[in-house]
Amino acid sequence: MSRDLTSALFWLAFAIFFSIESLTQLKLGTLHQPGPGFFPFWAGVVLGLLSLILLLNSLRNQERLSLSGLKSWKLLLVAGALLAYLLLLETLGFVTITFLFLFLLLRLEYKGWVFSAVSALLGALASYAIFQLWLKTQLPTGPFGI
Amino acid sequence: MEIFQGLLYGFQVALQPINLFYCFVGVFIGTLVGVLPGLGPAAAIALLLPSTFAASPVSAIIMLAGIYYGAMYGGSTTSILVNIPGEAASVVTCLDGHAMARQGRAGPALGISAFGSFIAGTLSVVVLTFLAPSLAKVALSFGPPEYFSLMVLGLTILTYFARESMVKALMMAAAGLLCGSVGVDSISGRYRFTFGIQTLMDGLGLVPVIMGLFGISEVLLNLEQGKEKQEIFATPAKGLFPSRADWRLSTMPILRGSVLGFFLGVLPGAGAIIASFVAYAVEKRVSKYPERFGTGAIEGVAGPEAANNAAAGGAFIPLLTLGIPANAVMAILLGALMIHGLQPGALLMKQAPDVFWGIITSMYIGNAMLLVLNLPLIPMWARLLKVPYAIMFPFILLFCLIGSYSVTNNVGDGIVMWVFGVLGYLMKKFDYEGAPLILAMVIGPMMEEALRQSLILSAGSFAIFLSRPISAGFILAAALLLLLPLITRRKEVAKAWTSVPQESE
Repeated sequence: MSRDLTSALFWLAFAIFFSIESLTQLKLGTLHQPGPGFFPFWAGVVLGLLSLILLLNSLRNQERLSLSGLKSWKLLLVAGALLAYLLLLETLGFVTITFLFLFLLLRLEYKGWVFSAVSALLGALASYAIFQLWLKTQLPTGPFGI
Repeated sequence: MEIFQGLLYGFQVALQPINLFYCFVGVFIGTLVGVLPGLGPAAAIALLLPSTFAASPVSAIIMLAGIYYGAMYGGSTTSILVNIPGEAASVVTCLDGHAMARQGRAGPALGISAFGSFIAGTLSVVVLTFLAPSLAKVALSFGPPEYFSLMVLGLTILTYFARESMVKALMMAAAGLLCGSVGVDSISGRYRFTFGIQTLMDGLGLVPVIMGLFGISEVLLNLEQGKEKQEIFATPAKGLFPSRADWRLSTMPILRGSVLGFFLGVLPGAGAIIASFVAYAVEKRVSKYPERFGTGAIEGVAGPEAANNAAAGGAFIPLLTLGIPANAVMAILLGALMIHGLQPGALLMKQAPDVFWGIITSMYIGNAMLLVLNLPLIPMWARLLKVPYAIMFPFILLFCLIGSYSVTNNVGDGIVMWVFGVLGYLMKKFDYEGAPLILAMVIGPMMEEALRQSLILSAGSFAIFLSRPISAGFILAAALLLLLPLITRRKEVAKAWTSVPQESE
């Protein structure tokens, strides 16, 4: 499987899903009075046809799919940390979760416990000051009130 | 006379202390994100949009616009000193700018890009001043068919200039149209593709999608590649002023770059990045000594830097006169105008003259501020660039998280950003570009409305797009651009992209 083939299959599935959804759940309407499904249906058809062109082109391509980056645990960890931040933000509160998040990521690439802990704490407090106190963003508070 | 009255009124607005302050903050932050690699103006404006909710519409837009053209100034600094483009429109500046730095001529390189940017930026605002009001009048005669055809043309231009295959760029445009149709259908009021998820009821948020595609995915890629240590050239505090010989070589490139940049900036989809590439190619072609390019030719810095600034000015034309964004940054500005209760487009000049003229005149002031600001601050930016990426990236991610959350105080928007961050990372891996997706997502709902209204108008006949002359012209141009690659294989575009180091927006 080449990279183009893999991605073409993904977008083809994406296009088919949206087209069927537009056709069955929404209404296409008539040309005189197009309904809510009209535009997404045809956008989906165009995407599907283009995916097919890419798919046919890719069959001539002998390149093998290789995704070195996906194996990197570091990336998975960063992506996981981002998701965890979002899921825990409203339970733990902004300052706590921000401290933990910054500490984890600083430790990841830059060694040194003390440096990471101090920078994470300063970063969390400074961003709280900037966004909550100065810019008046409504950041969620946790059990500690911040 | 109308224009001079407008200008006078605009300066009254833009020179109010509060607006001067916002303008200053905007261009300062713009220079900062321009200098920092991996954080572009689109993500930065998306991030700061929520913080402008409390400000007046004029102040907000003045600041956000300042970030955009400020970034064009800042990007060149990093290109010249570190050989990494600070942002995408400064990619070509690396070639000769960094070569000059290696010869100990970082000062004149930085100087000429600042002066070139100022001249081009100002020239383009002058043209914008005179062109925008008359274009807005023309635009008043546009009906739904004209708007639809123009948007088709815009998307086609964008995909024509795509770095990778045009098929993939068109696919991303189609996918963007689908993303844009999530939420409430504006005509029937029906929910579409929301799958019962509360966050999707209002549609996919532009801010989280842009921060995912351009912010998060960029950080993931940088982490994977592992930024190697780069040599940063110390800049002399003096010697930033180009010599008389430098000026002689640069004057014409700056003027050519300004003209080219402005017109490419006006075209929906082309923008500052393309403008800088084309300007470089043109300078190399007209030069008597093309072999000097790549070894530190000052024309190779002056032309592209002028072009990207002129393009930033030109990009405001479609936004202010038609209400159509020319690129991702203009898309957020469009969103910002609408959040502040303004309808961008032909009527903006009539309905909100303070905003229309205030933005335009603030750009004269902002460009002057940037020239004064930029040169003395270069040593500070050089020090900032020495901060290791290992320390910088957690904070970039944090800003994205806060930004996506604070638009509507909804964790769901953060999840949308996360999904598009991962998608954006995979798209880069599989050679897809994010820009067509973003632009199509923004203009999708407008395009759909124009299409459906046109069909209602014509009782279901597509001939309406060809029987009206202006609309037919747009469609014809789009068809030509789609068919051209089949004959010419886009050799020129491909060559331009491969001749420079890789970097995305």
